[in-house]
Amino acid sequence: MFFHTYKSKYFLWAILLSMVSNSLAQSFQIVVDSDEIEIPLEEDYQILAQAVDAQNQVIPEVNFSFYSSASQILKVDKKGLITPLKPGQGNVIIIGRLEGIKEYQRLNLWVNVKHSEVKDLKIMNLPSEIFAGQRIGLEVQLLDLQNYEISNPNLIFESSDVSVASIDIFGNITAHQKGKTVIKVSVGKISTEMVIAVKKNPVASIRLSSNVQEAVTGEVVYFDAQAFDNEEKIIEAIPFVFSFSGVSESPSEYASGMIKNNGNFVADVPGIYTVVSAFGGREARRTLQVSARNVTEKVVLKGHGSVSNVHTSDLWVWEGVDGKDYCVTGTWGGNGEAYFWDVTDPNYLVPIDTIRVDARTVNDVKVSQDGKICVISREGASNRKNGLVIIDVSNPHDAVIISTYDEGLTGGVHNVFIYNDHIYALSNGERYDVINIADPKYPKKVGTFELDEPGHSIHDVWVDNGIAYSSNWAYGVWMVDVGNGMAGGSPSNPKPIANYAYPSGWNHAAFPYHDKKTGKFYVIAGDEAFPNGLNTEDGPTIPAGFLHIIDFTDLEHPVEVAKYEVPGAGSHNLWVEGDLLYVGNYNAGLRVVDLSGDLMGDLYKQGREIAWFLPTDAKGRIPNAPMTWGPQPHKGHVFFTDWNSGLWSVKIDFKKPKNTKLEKR
Amino acid sequence: MIRKSQLICLFICLPFFGFSQTYFLYVASESEDEVALIKFNGSHGFIDEVINVGYQATEIEGPHGLTIDPSGDFWYVTMAHGNPYGRVYKYSTKSNNLIDFTELGIFPASMQISPANGMLFCVNFNLHGKMEPSTVSVVDPFSMEELTQIETGSMPHGSRISPNGLNHFSVAMMSGELFEIDVITMEISRKLNLDFSLASLYKGQSDEMDHAAMGHAMNNQSHQDNHHSAIKPTWVIPHPDGQRVFIAANGKDMILEIDLVKWEVAKSFPTGKGPYNIEITGDGKKMIVSYKSEGSTAIWDIDQERELAVIKNSREITHGISVSPDHKYAFVSVEGKGIERGSVDIISLEEYELIDVVEVGKQAGGIAFWKLEE
Repeated sequence: MFFHTYKSKYFLWAILLSMVSNSLAQSFQIVVDSDEIEIPLEEDYQILAQAVDAQNQVIPEVNFSFYSSASQILKVDKKGLITPLKPGQGNVIIIGRLEGIKEYQRLNLWVNVKHSEVKDLKIMNLPSEIFAGQRIGLEVQLLDLQNYEISNPNLIFESSDVSVASIDIFGNITAHQKGKTVIKVSVGKISTEMVIAVKKNPVASIRLSSNVQEAVTGEVVYFDAQAFDNEEKIIEAIPFVFSFSGVSESPSEYASGMIKNNGNFVADVPGIYTVVSAFGGREARRTLQVSARNVTEKVVLKGHGSVSNVHTSDLWVWEGVDGKDYCVTGTWGGNGEAYFWDVTDPNYLVPIDTIRVDARTVNDVKVSQDGKICVISREGASNRKNGLVIIDVSNPHDAVIISTYDEGLTGGVHNVFIYNDHIYALSNGERYDVINIADPKYPKKVGTFELDEPGHSIHDVWVDNGIAYSSNWAYGVWMVDVGNGMAGGSPSNPKPIANYAYPSGWNHAAFPYHDKKTGKFYVIAGDEAFPNGLNTEDGPTIPAGFLHIIDFTDLEHPVEVAKYEVPGAGSHNLWVEGDLLYVGNYNAGLRVVDLSGDLMGDLYKQGREIAWFLPTDAKGRIPNAPMTWGPQPHKGHVFFTDWNSGLWSVKIDFKKPKNTKLEKR
Repeated sequence: MIRKSQLICLFICLPFFGFSQTYFLYVASESEDEVALIKFNGSHGFIDEVINVGYQATEIEGPHGLTIDPSGDFWYVTMAHGNPYGRVYKYSTKSNNLIDFTELGIFPASMQISPANGMLFCVNFNLHGKMEPSTVSVVDPFSMEELTQIETGSMPHGSRISPNGLNHFSVAMMSGELFEIDVITMEISRKLNLDFSLASLYKGQSDEMDHAAMGHAMNNQSHQDNHHSAIKPTWVIPHPDGQRVFIAANGKDMILEIDLVKWEVAKSFPTGKGPYNIEITGDGKKMIVSYKSEGSTAIWDIDQERELAVIKNSREITHGISVSPDHKYAFVSVEGKGIERGSVDIISLEEYELIDVVEVGKQAGGIAFWKLEE
C-alpha cells in the first residue's frame, strides 16, 4: 500500500519541513536606518542591515548579500560598504537568507549619490559687447569638484542696470541702450559675473533682397539682408534675425514654410509670404508670391507577378548577358527561396526559375554589374549557420548555385551588395564583411568594417563610386572609402569618411544623390519603424518614419536640410535616378518625388511628390494590403516589390509641368 | 482502521485524484518571433494563445530561451538578435502582456531564476561571435536591470541552477568547460575542463589514477587557449539529489555524469546522435534527452543507467524538453526545417509513446512548463 511505504512517510516529512522552512523565511524582515539615502560622491557608506522577527527581535543568524543595480553609479562590497562612483541614482538590493533555507527576504535601498561641492560656474557665450536692441540667450555650465556637470541647476540671473540690458529667468539678455551693466549668474553660494558693454545700435536701416519675387512651393528662395549706418555705409557681420508670415491661398490652410538664419526660405503651400529681417529694432520686409508646383504624373500599371504564398522582400533588376532583362526577388518568413523573372516585356513578368536554400528569409538579393553573379542573403537556417549564397545567373532560366559562404556570417546576413568583384555582407547586425569573389567558387574575406561605439549596430550597406554607405540605426549613416581613394581606403582596408546621425535612431537605408545642377551632394537616409506592430498574417500594417535628406557637400559638416514623410505611412527602401526619388513607402505604396533644385524643409507638404501607385492585390499574401518594399527604375520603367503581393512594373507618364520652371529641373 | 498519518496524506493528495488535469506550458518559435501558450488535457494539446515578441518587425529576432518565475506570475524570453545585443523580456502569465525588458550580451540563450536570491542568470551564447570567452548575465527580475556579467567560456549554452538555488551551472560549447557560479556572490566558484576530465576517466579506467587530483589539476587550464572542444557540451542539468550534474556531450554522442564532490566526469553513457537538451523528472528517476541530429527523444532510467526508449519525433531537429511536475509527460519542442512549422511533441513517460503533436511557429526551441491545474 502506498500509505505504508517508507517513501510516503518521507514525502510527509518533506512537506512538513517545507512548511516550517517557509514560515521561518517569512518570519523576518530586513530593516535599515532608511530605505532612501543620499550620500556625497567623496564618501563611502556602510549599510547597517538587520533581520528582525515579528516581535522586532534581531535574528543574528541571517546572512546578507548586497548587489548594486547601477554599477556605473555605485558599487557595493560583500559587507554592504557602498562606494560612490559618480553622481546619480541607483538601488542596492539587500538579500537576507537563513542558512539551509531556500527562501529569502529582500529590501531595496535607494541611493542618491550627490554631486560634490560646486566648483565652477561658467558663462559660455557672452560677448564683451552687444548692440542696443540685440537679444542673446546665455549658456551656462556648472561643474562640481570632480568636474561632473550639474544638470538643470536652479540658476538666478541678474543685471545691475536693467535700463542698459535686462535678463529674464531663462537667461535671455535684451540690450536696451548704450552703457555698461554687470550680468550676474548665481546658484546657492556660487556666482559669476561679467561686464557687458552695450553699444549704440549702428544700424540705421536694413535692405532685404531676394533672387525672385515669385516662386513655387518647395523652391528655395535666397533672401539677402544688408545693414547700413547713417552714412549709408554697409555694416558687415550683423547677426540678422529672419522670420516670415503669410496668408495661404486656401482658407483652411495656414501658410507654413521654413526660414533659416542665412535667409534661405521655402514655402510649403501657395500664398503670399512676407519675410522680415531684423536687428536691434530695425527691420526690412519683402513679399513673395508662391504658387503650387502643380506637377502630378500618371502612373500606368504595366505588369504584376503575383506572389501570394509567401511575403516578398527585395528585388534586383538587370540586363542579362543575353541582352534580355531579368529580375530576382527574395522571400520573407518562408522556405528560403529566391525567384527569377524574365521582365524583358514589363507588361508580362514571367517567373523562370527558383533557387531554394536552407533559410526562412532571403531578405536581400543583388546582381553584379556584369549581370553574371547573383548573391542572396540567408536568415533562419535550420542549423543556425546563416550566410550568403552565390549564384551563376549567366542564364537566369537555369540559375545555378556556385558556392555558399558563412564564415563569420552565421548570425545572419540581412543585407548584401556586390561591387567590383566584392560582396559587402552584413554580419549579425554588427558589421559588414568584404568578401572577394573574383573566383566565385572560392569566396574569400578580405576586409571588415565595424563601428567602435557602445551598442553599435548596422542594418544595410550600399556601395557607389567606391564609397560604402552603411545605415547604422542610432549611429546613422556612415560613408566609408572602400576604393574611391578619397580617404585612402580599399575593400581590404575600409576607411571612414564622414557620418551623420539623427535623434530617432531609425536609420535603416541610405542612398547617395549628386545634384549635378546645384553641385550639392546629398545622402538620403531612410527610417524604418513599426510603432503599431507588423501584421504578418492578416490586416494592414501602419508603419512610421520618413526620409532624411542630408547635405553632405561639406563632408566635415553634414547638415540635415529636408525630409520626405507621407502622413500615416512609413518609409522603406529608396532609389534616386536623375533628380527623381523613388520610394517604397510600405503601406503608402510607390511614391515618386521631384528632387530638382535646392532642397529644404518638408518635401511632401511642398508638393514635390509627383506620382504614386498603390499595389492592391485581392489575392495577395495579405489581401488588399499594400506594403511596398523597394523600387528600382530600369530602362524607363519602375519595378518594385510589395511584401504582400510580389513583383510589379509601372511606367510614369511624364508630361510637361504646368507651373514649374523647366530650367530649374 | 485508518491511521492519522494516512488521513493527513489523503487530505494532501486529494487534489491529485479523481479530477482531470490541465498542463500549461510556453514554447518559443525562433524563426517566427512568437511564443505560444500550450494547454494539454492528458490526451490532447492545443495552442491557447500566441504572443508576438520582439521589436524589430521585419527582422527575425529569435526568441530562444524561456523560463518561468518561481512564483508562476511571470515568464521570461530571451531574444537572440538585437542591435546587436539581445534582450530578455518579462511577461505576465496572467495576461501575457509585456512588462519590461533589459539588454544583455550577444545571443542570450538559456536562463533560470534562483530561488535563493531571486536573480535571473542567463548565458550569453554569442553563437556567431569569435571563439572567445562570453558571459553569464545576472538580472534583477524585479527592476529588470542587468546587475553584472560574469565571464565564462566560449559559447555558453545550456545552464541550470541547483535545486537549493545556490549554484548556477553552465557549459561552454566551444571551450568544453563546465562552470559553477556561486549564486550569492555571483562569482565563478569552480570550472572543469570536460575534455580533459573525460580523458582522465578513460585513462583511469585502464590504470588506477587519482581521478580527483587529475580533474582539479586540469581546472587550472586556461579556457582561453582557443581550442575547440570535441565534447561540445550543449546542456547541463543538476540531479535533484544535488550530488551530480548531467551534461549533453553533443560532439561525442554521450551523456556525462559529473560528480560534484569530486568535481570530475564520473560516468559517460553513449547516446543517439547529437544529444542536445536534458531534463530530469522531479523524482530523479528518469532523464529525457533530445537527440537533435536524429529527430528523436530518449527516455533514460538514471539508476539503471539504461536507455528505456527512443521515440521518433514528429519532424526533424529535436530541441528542448520540459517535464510535468507529476513526472507523467515530457513536452519536447521540435524545430522543423524551412517553411515547415515547429511542434511540441507530447510524450508519455509511463507508456513511452508520442501522445500528441501541437504545431507551433517555425523553429520551436525554448520551452518551459508553467503549471498544472485541476
